[in-house]
Amino acid sequence: MSDTPAFSLEDLAGSRFPLLEYAPDATLIVDADGRIRLLNAQAERLFGYYREELIGQPIEMLIPARYRTRHVGERKGYYHDPHVRPMGVGLELNGLRKNGSEFPVEISLSPVNTSDGTFVSASIRDSSERKAFERRLQELNTELETAGRAKDQFLASMSHELRTPLNAIIGFTGTLLMQLPGPLNPEQERQLEIVQSSAQHLLSLINDILDLARIESGKIELHFEPIVVREVVDDVASTLAALALEKELEFTTQIADAGEPIVTDRRALRQILLNLANNALKYTEAGGVRIDVWSSNANGRSAIAFSVSDTGIGIKPEDRERLFQAFKQLDPSNTRRHQGTGLGLYLCRNLSSMLGGELTVTSEYGKGSTFTFTLPR
Amino acid sequence: MARILVIDDNAVNLDLMLYLLRAFGHAAEGRSDGEAGLEAVRGGQFDLVLTDVLMPGIDGYELARQLKADERCAAIPLIAVTALAMPGDRERIAGVGFDGYIAKPIEPRTFVAQVEALLHREGR
Repeated sequence: MSDTPAFSLEDLAGSRFPLLEYAPDATLIVDADGRIRLLNAQAERLFGYYREELIGQPIEMLIPARYRTRHVGERKGYYHDPHVRPMGVGLELNGLRKNGSEFPVEISLSPVNTSDGTFVSASIRDSSERKAFERRLQELNTELETAGRAKDQFLASMSHELRTPLNAIIGFTGTLLMQLPGPLNPEQERQLEIVQSSAQHLLSLINDILDLARIESGKIELHFEPIVVREVVDDVASTLAALALEKELEFTTQIADAGEPIVTDRRALRQILLNLANNALKYTEAGGVRIDVWSSNANGRSAIAFSVSDTGIGIKPEDRERLFQAFKQLDPSNTRRHQGTGLGLYLCRNLSSMLGGELTVTSEYGKGSTFTFTLPR
Repeated sequence: MARILVIDDNAVNLDLMLYLLRAFGHAAEGRSDGEAGLEAVRGGQFDLVLTDVLMPGIDGYELARQLKADERCAAIPLIAVTALAMPGDRERIAGVGFDGYIAKPIEPRTFVAQVEALLHREGR
């Protein structure tokens, strides 16, 4: 670069540099003594002075008195080490208008070399709007946090308050059915069993709704850790063994890949498999249910696949999508027969996508269904 | 037969637990708040204590802190029977010194067996 700049200070004010005059930010050119040598139209508007009132005046005239002494020092320092300082970096400063009012400013500085010597160009922006916006944003965030906490508190209270009376209903129905107070006749027993299964259904609904509320508010906390797949599958199988036995269904698990642990959330994985296998057992009257685990590929990436297959009633092709919606049981009469909440598959699909996996179904109506859940490794 | 103290501010739930424990041959006594519960544990000869957690006055957390800090009572198995069943509740409860946790609603067919398992585990 040439040592002699091709333009003078005068040029900056003229038609060769219209950018300066029409710049959206207030711009002032200041000399080594801190005197204002040039300013643009926006600078007049921002500070409320006519140009003639400012030319030749110290720049400190535009700064509240309490900042002036410090500013003189900083200005001199900058002249010894001129560099480009972008907008919004550095100290918080206020501007002072002619009418005495103050406003927050953002300032960017850069040295300007002219044939008349080195000057400093200061671009100044009124940041009150941005400041007000930031304040509002902060307020909104606080409000959201408060609302989030209120919602969590509400869910926790609801869970506690609903379980307390349910404890008495399930408990005393149980003592009667256990015939602890005395023998029951068959009709009493039948009616109490209805009370019991309805209470259990209510409890499942409460649990599912709470899970759902947590998923939807992003409150489910996932702990990704190495998981031995076999442990989770065995746990699910033993939890449901009694149900399979009761319905005289074959219930098997086959783990083709017992390789290294996978990294995922144990509780979520367990809940997905438990829901799928529980559904499979519920909707199957003869035959069996099996859980398979094998190594797979998802979009070219190594994955692990879990499937739950049954020989149950199956799903018609036109019903497949509705299957994963909340509170959609395919046959409303099923609600009574199968005690489902209508939330299980919806929960499974939400949980599986939180784990980065995918849940799909294939089915032949009348012959059975297979739900497959693929998880990246 | 074990001597078991049950603390719950909800009269119906207290009744249920006492009924089940007595039906299975245990000597069960009830208290309906934390203060009375603490006094009973300190003054009595109980093999195990079951307590609700959310109670007015001295709640289950405070009860656990006081009992576990008291060398005469620290060894008595202390079980929370609570409707606090949200994720994290079990860990919070274990964190203040409880020896066991049973969520409400209890499972009436297995409740007494669950309590007995904790009794025997502690008795080893």
